[in-house]
Amino acid sequence: MVDVAQLVEHWLVVPVVAGSSPVIHPTMSLTQPDEALEERELFEPDRAWSTVVWNDPVNLMTYVTHVFRTYFGYPRREAERLMLLVHHEGRATVASGPREEMERHTEAMHEFGLWATVERI
Amino acid sequence: MRVQRRRGDIVVGLDAVERDLLASLATQYDEVLHDDEGDDAVHDRLFPVAYRDDPDADDEFRRYTYEGLVERKSANAGRIAASIAAAGDGRILLDPDAVGAWLPALTDLRLVIAERLGIRHDDDTVPDDQLGQVYHWLAELQARLVDAVDR
Repeated sequence: MVDVAQLVEHWLVVPVVAGSSPVIHPTMSLTQPDEALEERELFEPDRAWSTVVWNDPVNLMTYVTHVFRTYFGYPRREAERLMLLVHHEGRATVASGPREEMERHTEAMHEFGLWATVERI
Repeated sequence: MRVQRRRGDIVVGLDAVERDLLASLATQYDEVLHDDEGDDAVHDRLFPVAYRDDPDADDEFRRYTYEGLVERKSANAGRIAASIAAAGDGRILLDPDAVGAWLPALTDLRLVIAERLGIRHDDDTVPDDQLGQVYHWLAELQARLVDAVDR
């Protein structure tokens, strides 16, 4: 069992490691010209966006699966497949649809402590 | 640490040291959430970018979601403290709603500690120091909770 005897330390509020570092960012994708964006929004309003969950070294595989099951309602096997995609490929598309809905999912993932982004399909 | 399922609820048995530790961490987590002047890297982990290549869209997303996220994450932190306080010296009883508050808060706590420890990639190793041990302990607690609720 872990020895957690000294509780008085203020670990989180006072950094123990000096300096800050950038959060991991995936490879930036190329921005598309504005005209192209507008065109897509006009002609594919409902399926043009997706919610992508990214790998991080912190989250437990079982927890990620748990979130995919409880929040999105995926069956266990599908939730595990998506979790493994995140783990091995670094990312998985977990939903697609209208932009507002994808933003809601992204916000929910952030609430769960997972890193998600809104992506144009 | 003992985590058991009892009907629909989860019973968590922690010793006094562990209870105090977790209550202290929950309080510190709440402080971090409300610390706008704090560590940017920690902040970016708790409130990550939503649009990778569109700063304007990301700003707008943040404007609409930030306060609500802080509020709900803070409520989760409070839920941990409340569950522990309610248990006194006994075992901590978590209904499904409480588990739903504990799991995201434990995740965020681990994100904050990971940033402090410099764990940013899959192959980064957890230092064998006290904070590293706390990090592992939180993972163990979270893993057992997930196993118990998903059984």
